[in-house]
Amino acid sequence: MIRSTVLVSGDPISLSRGAEDTRLAIEAELAFYGLEDEVRVGYTGRVNRTDVLPVVVVYPEGIVYGPVSPETGATIVSEHLYKGRKVEHLLVSAEVASAEIDTLGVAEDTLYAQKRVVLKRAGTIDPYSIDEYIAYDGYFALGKALTSMTPGEVLDTVKSSGLQGRGGAGFPTGLKWTFVAQQPESPRYIVCNADESEPGTFKDRLIVEGDPHAVLEGMALAGYAVGASEGWIYIRGEYAMAKDILNHAITAAEELNLLGDNIMGTSFSFHVHVHAGAGAYVCGEETALLNSLEGERGIPRIRPPYPTVYGFRGKPTVVNNVETLANIAPIILNGADWFRAIGTERSPGTKVYTMLGDVALSGLVEAPMGTTLREIIGIYGGGMKGGKAFKAAQTGGSSGTIIPAELLDVPMDFASMREKGVGLGSGALLVCDEDTDIVDLAYVLVRFFKTESCGKCTPCRVGTAQMLEALDRLRKGMARRADLERLEEIATYVQQASFCGLGQAAPVPILTGLQYFRSEFESRLRD
Amino acid sequence: MSEVRLTINNQPVTGLSGQTILEAAQAAGVDIPVLCSHPALSAWGACRMCVVEVKGMRGLQTACTCPIADGMEVQTETTAAVDVRKFVLELLFSERNHYCMFCQMSGDCELQDAAYRYGLDHFTYPRPYQKLSVDASRKYFIMDHNRCILCTRCVRACSEIVANHTLDVRARGADSMIMADLDVPFGESSCVECGTCLQVCPTGALIDARSAYGGREKDVVHTETTCMQCSVGCALDVVTRYNRLLRVDGIWGSEPNDGLLCVDGRFAPLYEERKRVTSPLVRKDGKLVEAGWDEALSTVAARFKAGGVQGLTTCATTNEALEAFAGLFAKAKGEAGLLEPVAPVLGYGTTGKLADILDADFIVVAGAQPLDYQRVVGYFIQRAADHGATVAVIADTENSLTKRATMTVSYADADQVAKAAADAKKIVLVYSVGIKSRVIAAFRHLGDRLYTLALSPGRNERGATAAGLKHAEPNGAQTRFFLLGEQSEDQALTTKVDGAFTVVQASYLSPLVEGADVVLPTPVWYERTGHTTDYAGVVKPVAEVLPKPAAVRDDAEVLSALAAML
Ligand SMILES: Cc1cc2nc3c(=O)[nH]c(=O)nc-3n(C[C@H](O)[C@H](O)[C@H](O)COP(=O)(O)O)c2cc1C
Ligand code: SF4
Ligand code: SF4
Repeated sequence: MIRSTVLVSGDPISLSRGAEDTRLAIEAELAFYGLEDEVRVGYTGRVNRTDVLPVVVVYPEGIVYGPVSPETGATIVSEHLYKGRKVEHLLVSAEVASAEIDTLGVAEDTLYAQKRVVLKRAGTIDPYSIDEYIAYDGYFALGKALTSMTPGEVLDTVKSSGLQGRGGAGFPTGLKWTFVAQQPESPRYIVCNADESEPGTFKDRLIVEGDPHAVLEGMALAGYAVGASEGWIYIRGEYAMAKDILNHAITAAEELNLLGDNIMGTSFSFHVHVHAGAGAYVCGEETALLNSLEGERGIPRIRPPYPTVYGFRGKPTVVNNVETLANIAPIILNGADWFRAIGTERSPGTKVYTMLGDVALSGLVEAPMGTTLREIIGIYGGGMKGGKAFKAAQTGGSSGTIIPAELLDVPMDFASMREKGVGLGSGALLVCDEDTDIVDLAYVLVRFFKTESCGKCTPCRVGTAQMLEALDRLRKGMARRADLERLEEIATYVQQASFCGLGQAAPVPILTGLQYFRSEFESRLRD
Repeated sequence: MSEVRLTINNQPVTGLSGQTILEAAQAAGVDIPVLCSHPALSAWGACRMCVVEVKGMRGLQTACTCPIADGMEVQTETTAAVDVRKFVLELLFSERNHYCMFCQMSGDCELQDAAYRYGLDHFTYPRPYQKLSVDASRKYFIMDHNRCILCTRCVRACSEIVANHTLDVRARGADSMIMADLDVPFGESSCVECGTCLQVCPTGALIDARSAYGGREKDVVHTETTCMQCSVGCALDVVTRYNRLLRVDGIWGSEPNDGLLCVDGRFAPLYEERKRVTSPLVRKDGKLVEAGWDEALSTVAARFKAGGVQGLTTCATTNEALEAFAGLFAKAKGEAGLLEPVAPVLGYGTTGKLADILDADFIVVAGAQPLDYQRVVGYFIQRAADHGATVAVIADTENSLTKRATMTVSYADADQVAKAAADAKKIVLVYSVGIKSRVIAAFRHLGDRLYTLALSPGRNERGATAAGLKHAEPNGAQTRFFLLGEQSEDQALTTKVDGAFTVVQASYLSPLVEGADVVLPTPVWYERTGHTTDYAGVVKPVAEVLPKPAAVRDDAEVLSALAAML
């Protein structure tokens, strides 16, 4: 009989800090006390802050220790699990824990709790255990859909839930699926975009590492809804552990006939493959992703035709972000109305953010759509680090923008942000305090885009290099007013004329920077 | 295809559904500038030169990718579009070395043309002055990265037209660079030097080694003719200036090759190094000496009248010459034959066209090596393979198509291929003299679905067989007459002809010529006039591109003159 569960954080950072040894030490100590049949040890996805990693979580109490070395891990066994005493000096500090505990799954209605749909299980279950996923309602939605819903009903539920793509653009997911379902061509494919290379974004990795089956179940439901029987997960090359977890999860699901042929004895079959990228940011762009998946050079395709018509191997394809797919099973299980009750009218549901920069607590946050940036920083981020003033936040990636202080109270949802000319981006929140230099920030972001330009189109390939050159001159005090005007002009043209979202986004740090912080750019001019 | 009505610059235009704005505009005579777009290649949409405004659509559209629709209102020269074009040009001129005055393409460069059109008269952006490499590791053409605008026309030509997949882009963003294979020197790559990339390059990045600086478009003469380097019969545009051969281009849209050429059609013949026979020669006192036509022809006629003559001709000459050859030997009561073996007639199936390869789902190659001898056919087969067609090679020896084949079997297993083809919708059987009877038998039952393509070793075999000529070996005749043309004879032939009185009609010196008793000079490929019959039996004109040397006479004329003397 299992009376306790001990989870060690098994993300790459924790592992690099010896989490493996910690786990082995805990197991050895449990064996020493003869507790191996009573206490189960597992890995969990990474939780929130990095400075306390690796953490050890003891359930059912939900007590968090960190950072834990092999020696202190042994102490936790002898003290906490054998003698039943908390090891006070190893507890994650109270201040941290209040934010931390949310991530580790306490009741939802406590003061600081986040609204959890996507991250409901991440960090609380062992991602290597399909049983734990099932114990937490896992594959119930798929079972419900396959036994009591037609594909059309699944499609309608997703459509009326109002779910919008979480990969950045906020395209209505139900509509995308409908386009694919309407195509006469087959086979059709489901592709999960787990390339996640947007600067400062790592939510998808944590979702996959913490709750892989949620993504698989979402893909299977998508397959059922649009008539696809094969799915591909295109995962960022650096995400070795996430890839391993996914492959493990796929095998486990196949063994239980939750994936594979004739799922749960029905006529629906769905197979999932994992494909690792090779480190190009542009491969997150859906058509470049499809090229890469086909073994071609990872550069974007002409659109139209869109992937819904001409996608993987030229067939109708749904490309959805990890977080989008992780929302599907809860929607099918609880219904569209339940989902619509979360978030805002125009953007239902929650959004997962990776908050980093000058906030007290950085890490993963899931909050209802429409939560303002001020609330997110204040409540989940523990305020600004060192009590400094907020200056700006960058929302990450190709659809992100710089958000100035005057927009701190705009509800963060796709529509409201768009009205203000800013974007929700990929869900990164790079929070910058008053000491941040906006020109430097723009420089760093433009450098990223320049490095990652695929080089296909002229404006992005050459224009990003010219923008970077001009910004560098500005930083070094070598630019005159005419140079700044020229920079703004290049930025405008690159945005107008680039082939894909990468080039269209590359000038955004400059353009929004100039819009809200022009004087800072001007202060760098010579004479 | 249905008609689509739209307006371009307020002028009503009727296009066809599926066309892009660019295609509709070009058909209507509206000139939208392009750099990465090329009519023979797939749309790319990357240079951003062809941006236009379409009423009701957000932002600018690329004309080369945007499909037309009814009621569309397109404006091609709005301020916004022109500003972006100028911006694109300014960026391209800042990216690499485009000092036009030192470039061999100056005057004929699409980048330069566009820059003139939009009034670029200075460099707007700081230039990096990076020095990139020039790759001259190939014999016939050079790659100068400094002039490359990364339009990828060459890459697309290599993969879409030749299906050779040698070229691609290395690295990404500002570091992008055209490369061969996995970034090896072009001369060490899988490049087959067909020159298709050279022909589509809009700038001076790909340089023809022979014609560079040899003349601008306005100075040169273009002559269309038919290639006689193999039996396919591709259409050629031969470019000359001051009676000098500059270059050979393919002609887009032409039958049968649609602009695609191979190294033997485009380059190799321009690098001929053999010594030319420029006047008739007659052996006197054991030595070959120059003679007049009258003397040479009467010497030959006297031998012919003595009887016991055999004539052997290459297929590599005009239909007119082959007919005159047959006529001459009929009159001389001698045997006339072909030097090259002839591909058998199968007696079933439809005679296929090259284009049939492209829409076939099953291609059989038997007893032929198209990638080595009729390369354009090989490239068409590679293209079909890219599109998913099954390619089956039947061969007992090595075949260079094997690497692109779905299956390769020996003759003994030909039935396997026939079985695999059983469900195919359209089968093309490409064969040559190597085909064996059991293979011929194996495909007979495929009936209507089978298209046959005979690839002859003889360059104008169709013309030769139409003249009633068949393959023959040298016999015991006392006088032998060879029409060798530009062909170099093989050694077996040279040794077999010992003993008899030998007359050779040839363009170049060779052992056979040097051992002959009479030598008659003959024109080379760009001096001939007349016709040739292509692989599909279509009679094609052969044009005189440059005049013959004074003492060289046309084959047909010489043969008829001889006949008249009998
Ligand atoms: C340069 C670029 C990079 C992108 N990177 C990602 C990415 O890493 N992950 C992602 O889900 N979407 C990314 N996108 C957006 C995808 O193209 C696509 O819109 C998304 O995968 C659709 O999924 P969704 O509808 O679920 O949001 C990127 C777009 C661009 C232009
Ligand atoms: S904007 Fe152009 S160069 Fe930049 S990534 Fe997209 S296609 Fe490539
Ligand atoms: S070599 Fe010529 S065709 Fe090829 S990318 Fe460069 S400019 Fe274009």
